Amino acid sequence: MRKALYALLGLAVAAALWEGYKAVGSPDGTVLFGVRVLPRADDLSMPHLWTVAERLGRPEITGGRPVWIVVLNACLFTLGITAAGFVIGALVGLLLAVAMERFRIVERGLLPYVILSQTVPLVALAPLVAGWGGTIMPAWAVVSVIAAYLAFFPVAVGMLRGLQSPPASGVELMRSYAAGWWRTLVKLRLPSALPYLFPALRLAGAAAVVGAVVGEISTGTRGGVGRLIIEYSREATSDPAKVYTAMLGAALLGLVVAGLVSLLELPLMRHRRHVEVVTL
Amino acid sequence: MSAVVVSSVTKIFNKGRPDEVAALSDVDLTVGDGEFVSLIGPSGCGKSTLLRLIADLIPPTTGTVTVAGKGAGKARKEQAYGIAFQQAGLFEWRTVLRNVELPLELRGTAKAERRARAEQMLALVGLADFAGHYPAQLSGGMQQRVAIARALAVQPPLLLMDEPFGALDEMTRERLQSELLGICAKTGTSTVFVTHSISEAVFLSDRVVVMSARPGRITASITVDLPSRDDAGRQSPAFFDKITEVRQALRGTPVKAAP
Repeated sequence: MRKALYALLGLAVAAALWEGYKAVGSPDGTVLFGVRVLPRADDLSMPHLWTVAERLGRPEITGGRPVWIVVLNACLFTLGITAAGFVIGALVGLLLAVAMERFRIVERGLLPYVILSQTVPLVALAPLVAGWGGTIMPAWAVVSVIAAYLAFFPVAVGMLRGLQSPPASGVELMRSYAAGWWRTLVKLRLPSALPYLFPALRLAGAAAVVGAVVGEISTGTRGGVGRLIIEYSREATSDPAKVYTAMLGAALLGLVVAGLVSLLELPLMRHRRHVEVVTL
Repeated sequence: MSAVVVSSVTKIFNKGRPDEVAALSDVDLTVGDGEFVSLIGPSGCGKSTLLRLIADLIPPTTGTVTVAGKGAGKARKEQAYGIAFQQAGLFEWRTVLRNVELPLELRGTAKAERRARAEQMLALVGLADFAGHYPAQLSGGMQQRVAIARALAVQPPLLLMDEPFGALDEMTRERLQSELLGICAKTGTSTVFVTHSISEAVFLSDRVVVMSARPGRITASITVDLPSRDDAGRQSPAFFDKITEVRQALRGTPVKAAP
């Protein structure tokens, strides 16, 4: 209840900032030494929030479906791509982390490349995999691959750290119980890695959204919110509120994914509930 | 049969490297069945190393370690001992009960039986009411008691303890010492107990083994025979005599002949 109130309050503050800046900001933006340090506050660049809200209710094109339905559908489409990418990425990251924990040599050999993988610009990578679409997999699956490519990284790195987190005494204890590698992994390393895994999954969720949106744009996949942003931005001069509806959708998508990921945490982290220490 | 036989054991860490450390040199130690033996000595005397060798957590460089008539490795695989460290080392994601069940689980004990056994062990350390709590909800002393219950859960013939009460305050420590003695008496467990508290070693042990550092070796073995192991025992002249004797042995001054 309280949390919901704070969330609403946060939303209200963001809205107040937007409208507040619009009220006091210069319509041409503020230019210092030839650089625009503050954005234009005119209706073309920053439409009123109510204009955006009202635009959501009107049809996309004359006689078409209302914008909010179009945006929602696009968001659901992208959500599906994101989910597939997230799951693939998380699994790959998990397996890589386990392999790196198991074999020191794999960690040494692979970790630099795992890090390197993220420095390759996405726009350079996308055309390479774009060709897969329609041949070995459907077009949306290619976007999922791009999302997975971004999502696996935080999981691999965070999970590796987590798997290595049990103290020596825990590992020795498992050894004293004659537990081998597998049972040590299941009973000790995986549970100890959970506090590292969940923040990593949140990052992976955000990365998967970015991957899906950017992937849609750079592979030219239709139907998702990334594509919608591009399409609507072409009309930005005549219908500035429209592109903001798509952006709103993308933001909402990010929030939904973040929320879903944190739901994963609830059943597994019961022991982390704030509790009072009994002293006897 | 002796619970533990350590014969001519040497342990050298990082052998052949510039950071080579001779942790133990030619150590012989025998722990009889049901005997409570304390290892005491200054930091770096290798007492923890000796305990880890008995537990087969590290291999000896030379010499042999036998636990209950078997090689240390075989004994470990058969879970022939229970072990407790200075840090309770409980798994924070498991409830107290499930922590105590862990060694039984890894042994493949049936669920109902391990539950019953774990409950029994918790009752033994006086924590029956806290079975459903998580470790983070317990104080340090209670966590340590859970760790002891866990070590006892497989009802091992041998208990290995590495300064289990080291991180506790004096009052809790004394209470746990009495509890431990009660448990050992009840179960007939042989115990090897590492400590740097002289009074703790004397109060608990049938025999105090004094070690010295660099290289770690056994310098004295002092038999303790207190009239009773309770608060009266802590006040008895025999207790203080033994404390003096152990202290002198630790300092390396001539030791009076054991009575």
